[in-house]
Amino acid sequence: MKKLLALALGILTAIGGFVDIGDLVTSAVVGSRFGLTLVWVTVLGVVGISLYANMAGRVAAVSGRATFEIIRERLGARAGLANLAASFLVNLMTVTAEIGGIALVFQLVTGISPMLWIPLAGFGVWVVVWRAKFSALENATGLLGLGLMVFAVAVFLLQPDWGHLAPQLIPRIPATEDGSTYWYYAIALFGAAMTPYEVFFFSSGGIEEKWSVKSLGEMKANVLVGFPLGGLLSISIAVCAAVVLLPQAIAVTSLSQVVLPVIQAGGTLAFAFAVVGMAAAVFGAALESTLSSGYTIAQYFGWSWGKFRRPAQAARFHLVMLIGLIIAVLVLLTGVDPVAVTEFSVVFSAIALPLTYIPILIVSNDKQYMGEFRNGMLTNALSLIFLAIILVASIAAIPLMVITGAGQ
Amino acid sequence: MRAGRVVDAEFQLIDRQVIDSDGVPIVAVDDLEVSDVPWNEDLPRGTEAPVVENLLSGPTLGTRIFGGRPPESRWQRIAWKHVVDVGTALTLDAPADSFDASWTERWVRNHVVGKIPGGHHDPE
Repeated sequence: MKKLLALALGILTAIGGFVDIGDLVTSAVVGSRFGLTLVWVTVLGVVGISLYANMAGRVAAVSGRATFEIIRERLGARAGLANLAASFLVNLMTVTAEIGGIALVFQLVTGISPMLWIPLAGFGVWVVVWRAKFSALENATGLLGLGLMVFAVAVFLLQPDWGHLAPQLIPRIPATEDGSTYWYYAIALFGAAMTPYEVFFFSSGGIEEKWSVKSLGEMKANVLVGFPLGGLLSISIAVCAAVVLLPQAIAVTSLSQVVLPVIQAGGTLAFAFAVVGMAAAVFGAALESTLSSGYTIAQYFGWSWGKFRRPAQAARFHLVMLIGLIIAVLVLLTGVDPVAVTEFSVVFSAIALPLTYIPILIVSNDKQYMGEFRNGMLTNALSLIFLAIILVASIAAIPLMVITGAGQ
Repeated sequence: MRAGRVVDAEFQLIDRQVIDSDGVPIVAVDDLEVSDVPWNEDLPRGTEAPVVENLLSGPTLGTRIFGGRPPESRWQRIAWKHVVDVGTALTLDAPADSFDASWTERWVRNHVVGKIPGGHHDPE
């Protein structure tokens, strides 16, 4: 019974923890401009992240080594360092976007400028990272993040014309948009679903929670049930935007447009659920990406790391996270638009995807590390297909960004 | 020296994580120091093969990537005799704080992180 509860808890936190500011903003932007014609990308991204997160988790559970230790071990010091520099920068962009996201949610509720909330959000994230237990922070933000389910409920309350919506699911470029813009947003959605910090966090989290070979079943359930259900939340946000914002040609420039359909569907109560869900989801993602900034650097250099240790026992790990948070807050205080930072962060995530995913695929096939828990044929076949997609998305991202003026 | 187990230095030692006797990560193996062999001359029959003497860390990482060679006084060494296991990580026979290689961790602990309130508390 206790085991069943733990399993349920793990799945629920995976659902609530799937969505972050990148998913929130990108899904709503895409829904309001392209209707449901890009839903297939979210589905694709969810399959990809489930596949690779499961692999990274399995490597961590079997070998006891987290993702960036493996990246260095397999790529060597030089290529590993180049990878670290790129991954750390992209992750820092994600941290910046998430902290900006927390400020945006508080602005939505209080009407007070995000500038005031940014330092408070940064401080709040640091205090939790500094003091809270790993399981506590994961469970609290994951469960409260389930408030986002109100977006799925709103889809039905809005009573859309299903016969009009269903044909939109077929991938096609809407007459009002360019082909290049369509593909640019396809890459953004893909990057939002497969953000690299999720893998760093998932594999390092496995070591924080002392996974072993025995935990493989539980981990698989979290990933294969939790992530797809989380992806459904992401799709619900897009459907809400497609039903309410698209017909009225409302552009998504802040979170107030993201929640507009929910308010229209369920009034104040629904708004309250959406706000709690968004705050928890974004705060949780801020914690996860901050931890990932520490995980990547500490694992490359072989330093002591982990939330299960006292900060003084993982001193350099905590110093890295503190510096990362300070940089993120300073960047936001220059007055950059957090929504714009978010949109860029998901595209740069897409560019950096091969750096994370190729080494994971190599090591999960390594006999020395994995023994009998190596990838099977089916996993490898699927992974190679995804690797091809990841490479295409990564290579096409910058040219498309230039051609479309970042999706204008 | 145990016979019968072949370890590939390039593949299984370099860039591996080093953990102490309590499982705490200390460094990654940035480079290896092997015993001297005469350079540029024919070796007489029966010369002993060079052996790994020390694991190196710290400044050698920079020179391994960008070239050059740090002055020998700045090499951070962990003597090979401390290595008790070679697996997915190298395990040492003593706690992290007893090795010079972890001096930056101790410095940050004593001067920065340990001074922030709560730095020495268990997470709650």
